[in-house]
Order: sequence, then structure tokens, then C-alpha cells
Amino acid sequence: MKISTKNRWILGILVLLGLIIYFPGHKFARAHVNYRTGVEDHPLLCLNCHLYMNTSGPIAKMVNEDYLSPINLAVSKDGSRLYVVAQEGNALITVDADQEKVINKIEVGELPHSVLLSNDGQKAYVSNQWSDHVSVIDLSTSKVVDTLQTANGPAGLALSADGKMLYAVNTYSSNVSVIDLETGEEQKRLEVGNNPTGIKLSPEKKLLFVTSRRAILAPYGDPVKTDMTLINDSSRRIEGYKTLESAHIAENLAFTPSGDLAVVTLVRPKNLVPSIQVERGFMMNHGIGIFEQKKDGRIIQLLLDEPNAFYPDAFDVVITPDGKKAFVSNSGVDCISVLDMDSIRALIAASTPEMLNSCANNLGISSRFVVKRIPTGANPKGLALSPDGKKLYVAEQLQDRISVINTESLETIATIDLGGPKKITVARRGKRLFANAGHTFQNQYSCYSCHPDYHEDGLVYNMASKDMGRNLTNVQSLRDISKTAPFKWNGKNQTVFKQDGIRFSTVLTRTEQFSYPDLDAISSFIMTGIHYPPNLQHNPATELTEAQLRGKEIFERTVDQTGKEIPVGNRCITCHPAPYFTNRKLADVGTLAATDDSILFDVPHLNNIYASAPYLHDGRAATLEEIWTKYSPYDRHGVANDLSKIELNEMIEYLKTLSSPDYYESLTKKKHTENTSN
Amino acid sequence: MKIPVKSKPALKSVIVAFVILSGLTGNMESVSASGPQKTGNEISKANNQPNPKETSVKAVANDSKPMPVYGRWKNFTTKDGLPSDMAYTVKIDGNRVLVGTHDGMAVFENGKWRTYTTKDGLPHNGIVSIDVSEVTGDAWIGTLGGLSRWSGGKFENFTQLNSGMPNDLVYGVCCDGKDVWVATGGGAGHYDTNLKQWEIFTEKNAPMHEPWTYGISAGDGKIFIAAWGGGVIEYTKSTKKFRDYTDPDGEMEIDLLLNDGPVHDITTGTSWADGKLWVSSYFGLCNYDGKNWKGYFDTDSGLASNFINFIRAEGRVAFICTDKGLSSSDGTNWVTYIKNDKNADGKAIITTGGVKKEIPLSPSLSHNFIIGVDADKDFIWVATSSGVSRGELLK
Repeated sequence: MKISTKNRWILGILVLLGLIIYFPGHKFARAHVNYRTGVEDHPLLCLNCHLYMNTSGPIAKMVNEDYLSPINLAVSKDGSRLYVVAQEGNALITVDADQEKVINKIEVGELPHSVLLSNDGQKAYVSNQWSDHVSVIDLSTSKVVDTLQTANGPAGLALSADGKMLYAVNTYSSNVSVIDLETGEEQKRLEVGNNPTGIKLSPEKKLLFVTSRRAILAPYGDPVKTDMTLINDSSRRIEGYKTLESAHIAENLAFTPSGDLAVVTLVRPKNLVPSIQVERGFMMNHGIGIFEQKKDGRIIQLLLDEPNAFYPDAFDVVITPDGKKAFVSNSGVDCISVLDMDSIRALIAASTPEMLNSCANNLGISSRFVVKRIPTGANPKGLALSPDGKKLYVAEQLQDRISVINTESLETIATIDLGGPKKITVARRGKRLFANAGHTFQNQYSCYSCHPDYHEDGLVYNMASKDMGRNLTNVQSLRDISKTAPFKWNGKNQTVFKQDGIRFSTVLTRTEQFSYPDLDAISSFIMTGIHYPPNLQHNPATELTEAQLRGKEIFERTVDQTGKEIPVGNRCITCHPAPYFTNRKLADVGTLAATDDSILFDVPHLNNIYASAPYLHDGRAATLEEIWTKYSPYDRHGVANDLSKIELNEMIEYLKTLSSPDYYESLTKKKHTENTSN
Repeated sequence: MKIPVKSKPALKSVIVAFVILSGLTGNMESVSASGPQKTGNEISKANNQPNPKETSVKAVANDSKPMPVYGRWKNFTTKDGLPSDMAYTVKIDGNRVLVGTHDGMAVFENGKWRTYTTKDGLPHNGIVSIDVSEVTGDAWIGTLGGLSRWSGGKFENFTQLNSGMPNDLVYGVCCDGKDVWVATGGGAGHYDTNLKQWEIFTEKNAPMHEPWTYGISAGDGKIFIAAWGGGVIEYTKSTKKFRDYTDPDGEMEIDLLLNDGPVHDITTGTSWADGKLWVSSYFGLCNYDGKNWKGYFDTDSGLASNFINFIRAEGRVAFICTDKGLSSSDGTNWVTYIKNDKNADGKAIITTGGVKKEIPLSPSLSHNFIIGVDADKDFIWVATSSGVSRGELLK
């Protein structure tokens, strides 16, 4: 084809224009990506940010999917039905166990956690962690017939021995609701360990054991201790506590059928030694705690880890009806560990107390009782055995399916697709990466290990710097952080790409850094897929009480009690404005320790701050009160010393009401609509 | 953080010091237990043995609407396992008895004492008030260094620094359903155990004279606060409104006009039971039936002394802890227990219709300076400045 001279000129001009745009544009894009990622070789893939980082709107809907994310399950007494809690699907899914097919999906409350069947098998109780209630489902009609109010964040469920009471473990408010099933009323709340989840009635049907994930709040330097709470089923009172030394994240437990042992999953954090020791295994270990169920029974901890292969994030444990085998879901490495209980019994019987103590740190001990590691799909969570104990059902949370394992052959014999989306989105892939320890040296831990529930584990770690300062670091929540950059307490990371990039692997995971597609995926998940629970404990009616309103006034005040103007930089509201309650700048609040690197602190976001104890960069304040009663003697953390105790209380009650950014954005929209209509 | 404490430090210090120390300057004689200590059941068996001295007591007790009379006193001191003879408070909790002392909390269970101190997790060893939640069974312990929840053997401490607690001097504690109320040196406080929220009441938001409060009790849908210089502060839970009851005579140490209100504005305790609010002060006793106030003094009733440290009403009977013995009354009849100065014996003085009868008791209470009391169906426990005494209801 012949091109005319005129057209040649036009083409030439277009090419020239293109080049003029491209080179500076490319340069700009390169500089932009370099800044965002903190490296100079990240591919210029605009869509990875501008498509997959959308938190709302049509694009976000287009690129994401609504997954089911099974977390726990129960098996009917005859073994014919599985009842699977779809955490992100807000549903209970009924599965025909023989046909291995989904029968129906029953909508329940928000973010359901656990399911429990009534003794007669007619009803299912489902705890809804973000709705603060339990759905009661008539299994013959597959309908929700009642909802039972609980405290904040119900998770594990158990029935009293007589079947008349339901115990609901409230994770967020750290108590147990005792609910009369005849009236449907909550009779009482029993205070239990920190951040509890699991509950089981002992085989002799006298005591209920409640697990806790978070350790007892204590000053940094004190060994980590976590409570197991014992509830007397007949008096319905707290009977006592069993303390797990140097351990936390006790998610769930199981009793042997004979009742001689109780087994609980746990993590042994090494947060008191510098985190640079990762290659020596000095970050955390994963294992089980064993409670001998006899007078003066011992508490023994055994690691499931091996010298060069760790098995993080143990979530659930079940024991076969003959008491011979235990199965533990190791969510962080996508496998089920099979434990020979007789070997454990023999090990305990043959060991002196000193030997048993050493087991808690013995990476080789698992070879004595772990008989197999059975691979599963992504992120195995809840476990359930068929009534005859021949099949083990595994809720593969990030695979949207149930795997079926033959407990004799220890092989996976089937998988049951729950009907979730087939497409694995970028954010979903990121979530899998987040929950998987494959990117850490020897699989020692996953992101989830320090950020359970994608939140925080409540511990302070020694993130020693290159100068070997102590640099104590209070783990921060990852909920809704997309608009709260910069990150880290020192604010040195302008994006999550940088946070989770090369430095992350150098300092924390001690292995190869994420590939860029993986980095993009995990960043996409962190920036878009983690949300705050509704603040149902302190802001349930979404209207502040009079005291909370007075506290808000104090928080937003510009003059002190004497009428003197508070310098702008020393007002609460200056650094902590809604909707994220951070101005995203650096500040000095007078809490830098002598052992810290000399830094200013990134102003933290305060949404749902009630759920983030301890406080301050090194966790020195066990409560919000202590920030001002103990650690701001010279008013460097806002002017507060002129407040009476009543006023301080009211300000703190207001702080506890702080909710998700979405909540404040919806308030603003509502206000705007009202103003427009007026 | 500034904790407001507007007070009359000199006067308060003198009285508080007197309350704490006067027992030490008194008769420190105590009666140690002989032989193994008995459980409640063992004591019941021992009752079957006749005691000639108590026959006359039974006769009085068998009058119409008899006042409960307690005898067969058993005294406990450090020799028996108490951490201190200076006992400040006592609370019966089913089969066990919790005693607050100057050096920790002592728990009597299965015939044995066990002591808990700061080493076990208490915020302070000076235990001055205890109550037990009927809902959860948790014990709430008021100390001179904060409040503690004792649940399943573990202490959880609330102080003015780590929580919304008004003040660390917790003179009174009262469990009311899911709520725990405290009377402190910095105001009264209310802790909602379900919501985990504190609310503070001082002279700034309640009709108090100043934030110093000594006693607190619940009943009839109300909370009654004994406030220093403020009489009785009544809080109605349904309306969340306060009202105060003060003495028209103010802080005069005599009651010029009888039955015109509380006998004095400086009150030390309140207790509501059987439709009646009982109020103690260092200057006499009074009660209020919702319409009328009635005052009682040692000069015109069977009251042991006008100097009253604490009061607890159970049913129609109020037990009144004074500096000169323990009194009990239904408003008309009185039984007062006084220990002899010279020996371990004492007497019960029964006043009915102006007629007094004295019943000898051997042994008697361990000391006349009484600071705390609690009673159940069969027993009364008394905290004194020289040990703890347990009396048995004479039927």
C-alpha cells in the first residue's frame, strides 16, 4: 500500500508526539513505581495497583469474588450430613456426606465462626462473630428459627451436660455468655482469658475448658502466659485457670474420649529475643499443650515442628473415638499432622518433669509421635470426625472445599467442592500467601502468625535494628489500613509494597523475597481485603451516649480547663482526625525509650482502638487509661493532665466507640444527604 | 493525671487512723481455737450438747418475733492462721468465708484458713471491703490500693491508673447483678461488667458534699452511697437520677431535732433490706422506711455506741459494728454483744421494750472494736480489731 506524503507527515508527527509523551511518561511512571515499591526494578504494571487496589466501587466488584471460606464444621450423629460454616459466605452449608454434595446454604449472621448441633440433632447453633448473636437453625426445615444475643464476637460454642444451657465464647469481649435455651436469654457473662475462641465440655461432663489466643497482658520482659479457663458446668461459675507458660494462640482443644488428656493447639513465641535470630528458629514455634486430667495433672507442651521444617498456625485438633490418633490442622503449611496418642502417653510416662520441660523447645521430639503429615488444600482450619471415626473432614478455608481423609490409611479420599467461585482473584491469591508460611525460612511462620484474624496477636516483639538497639514493636492491626500510609511505627514504609518487599525478607522472613506478582497479590489483599468488625460493644446503637459525647468534646477541644488555648500540635484531634483518626504524619509523644532508635512515631490510626491493647509503640500501656495516667506526665501526648478522672473516663469511653472508617464515611454521606434535602 | 480529692484531710485522717489503730491500743487479748476447727456441720452436731448458760438466751429468743441471738463464739487470730488480727471486713460466700485484714485476705474453708496477699496478685494487702456477685460467683475485693476481681483463683486488678476506677481507696464494694459499685476516696464508681465501662460519681455530677465516700449498698432498685459530709446519696437505677438525704442539723454532733433525717451528714455505711434503709454514722444510727426517718443513739436504745464503723442489714435485722461492741436491731428490739475488758468472756444485752436482760457469754467476741460483719442462716462472722469471731445462731 502506498502512503501519501501527507499521511507520512501525519504518521511522523504522531510517532514524534508518542515519543515525546512516552519517554517523559515512562520516566514519570518509573519514578512513581520506584517510589511506591521502594525498588527500581518492579515491573511497570499499572493495573496491579490501579485495578486491584480498589476497595470499593464497580472496579472492585469486577476484580473480586465472593468466596465462602469454610472455617468450622460439624457432622450429624448418623454421619450423613456435614454442616459447614462459610465464614465469608455468611452461611451454614449443608453437605450430603455420602454423596459429597452441597444440599443447601442457609444464611446466618455476619462472619459466622462455629457450629454446634443440639443433642437430639434437630438444631444447629451458629455463632455470628460480627453480629453478636447465635443463629438457631431448625435442621428439618433448614430455616433460622431464632437468634440468641451474646456479648462481643461469639466464636466457640458448647452445650451444658443437661443440654439446657448454651455457652458462647465471646472472642472480642473475652467472656462467655451463658444462655438459657428455654428462654433464649443470656443468663450471665463469665469473664475468661484474653481473646478466647474454643470451648469443650470434658468427657466426665463437669468442667468446660475455654481456650485463649492472646496472652495475659504483662510488661515486656515478663514471660508470655496464656490462660485456659475452667468453668464449672453445674454452678456455671469460673472454677479456675490453667496457665500455658511461654505460649499463646491457643485456638482449640479436644479431650481424649477416656478423658485422661486434653490437647490444645498453641504457638510458642520468642518475642523476648531479637527477631534477627529467625534463622536460628528464634521467632516462634508451633505445637500442642497437653493437660493431664488428674489431680495435680501436669501441663506438657510438645512441638509439632521439626528441626528444619516448622508447622505453623495450628488451628484445630480432634481425637478419634478410640483415643489413638489426634489430628491437628496446620493452617500455615496446608497440612494435617497426625499424632499417635499412645506414643504421647508413653513419652509423658517415661519422662521426668525436667525432660518434659525440655520437650517444649525440642524440635526433634515430634518424630516420636507425629506419624504423618497429610497435605491439604489452602489453609486447613476446622476439623470434624465422622461418628465412627473413620473419616476426617477438613475445612479448607482458602480453597472453598472440604477434604475427606481416611483415618486408617491417612490418605485424602475425596474433596467436596462447596460451590465457591472458581476464579482465584489477585486478592485471594494474596490472602493465601498471607496465611501461608511457605515464604519464611523453614516455614517458621506466616503473616497470619503475628496477625491472627488479619489483626494482631497482642504481643510486643524486639525488632532489633542493625545497631542492635531493642526497638520494641507492638504488633499493629492490618484492618482497613489502605489509607493510613505510611506504615511501621517509624513511618518509613510509604506503601505495603515496600513494607512487604526486599526489607521484609531481609529482616523478617530470612528467605527469598516475594516475587513481584506475589508481592502485588499480597499487597492487594492487605490493602483491600481486611476490614474492621462493627464496634458492637462500644458503639452498638451508632449513637453516642451523653458521656461519650462529652468525651468527644474533650477529644476535639481547643482550649484547656482554664480556657487557655491548647497549641494546635498538642490537641488530640490534630493528630487523630476522622475517619482514620490519623493525620498520617510523624510525631513525638515523649515515649521513645533509651534503647529505641531515634525516631518519630507514625501517628497510628485509632479505629476500633478498644481491640488493640496493649498501646503505644512498645506496648507499655496495658490500657488506654495508662497512656495518660502513666506515660504522658508532661502532656506530650496531648494535653490531658488538666482533666478530672471523670473527664478522662469520658474521653476514653469515646475512644472506645471509634469504629471503622466506613462508618464515619457513611455518617458524612448521611449528613450531606440531610443537608441537601433540607 | 490529676485525681481530684477535695477533702478535710486532718479530720479524716484522725478518724481513719482511729478506726484502724484504736483496736491496737485496746485489749489485744484473743482467744485461740482449741483443737481442730469445726466446719459448719460439725458445729451443728456440737449444738446438741446443752449449755446451761444459753438456756436463758433461748428463752428470750423465743419471744414473739424474737431477735436472733448468737452464742458459742469461736475466735480466730493469727495463731489460727489469719494474716493479721486487724480484720476490716468479712463476707460469707457459701461454704467459705472471706476476711479482709490489714495484711491480706484470709479465706476460711473446710476448717482451714488460707491467706492471699500481693504476692498472689492482690493490688494491696489492706483489704477493707468484700462482696460476692450472686450472678457469677466472683468476689470483688476493695483494698487500699485498688479493686480486685477474684475469679477462679485469679486476681484481676482495677486501679485509678489502669482503669476508670475513681480512686484506689476502696472503702465499700457492692455487687448488684452485672454491676459492681464502689465507694472510694475519690467518689463512688460503677462498673458494668458486661460492657466493661466505668462511671464515676463525685461532687461534680452528684449531690455530694465532696468525693469521699465510705459505704455503698443496693436495694429496691436503688444504690445508697454513704458520703462524707453528704449524708446518703440515693441513685435510682431506672431513672439514673440522684437525690440526697442529709441531716437538717448539718454536721452538728448532736441531733437537735430527732427523726428529721439522717442523724448526721458524715455517714459511714448504708444497708437496705426488708423495705428499710439503715444508715450508720460516727454519731448514731438511723433508718428510713421510705417515708420516715428514725434515729437511734446509745443513750436511748440498745445501741452499743454512737461510733459506728459499718452496718449490714439481713432481713429485718441490722447488724451494727461499733467501737464498743456489736449491736443488732430490728428497730425495736436490740441485742448487743460486748466483751469483758479483763477476760475472754462477755455478755449479750437484750433490750426489748425498754427492758434489758444480760446474758453471760463464754467466750465472747474477740474484741469490742467491730469493723465488719456478715450473717447467714446459722452463723454470724464478725471482723474486729483483734481477730475474727464466729457466732452460732441459738435456736
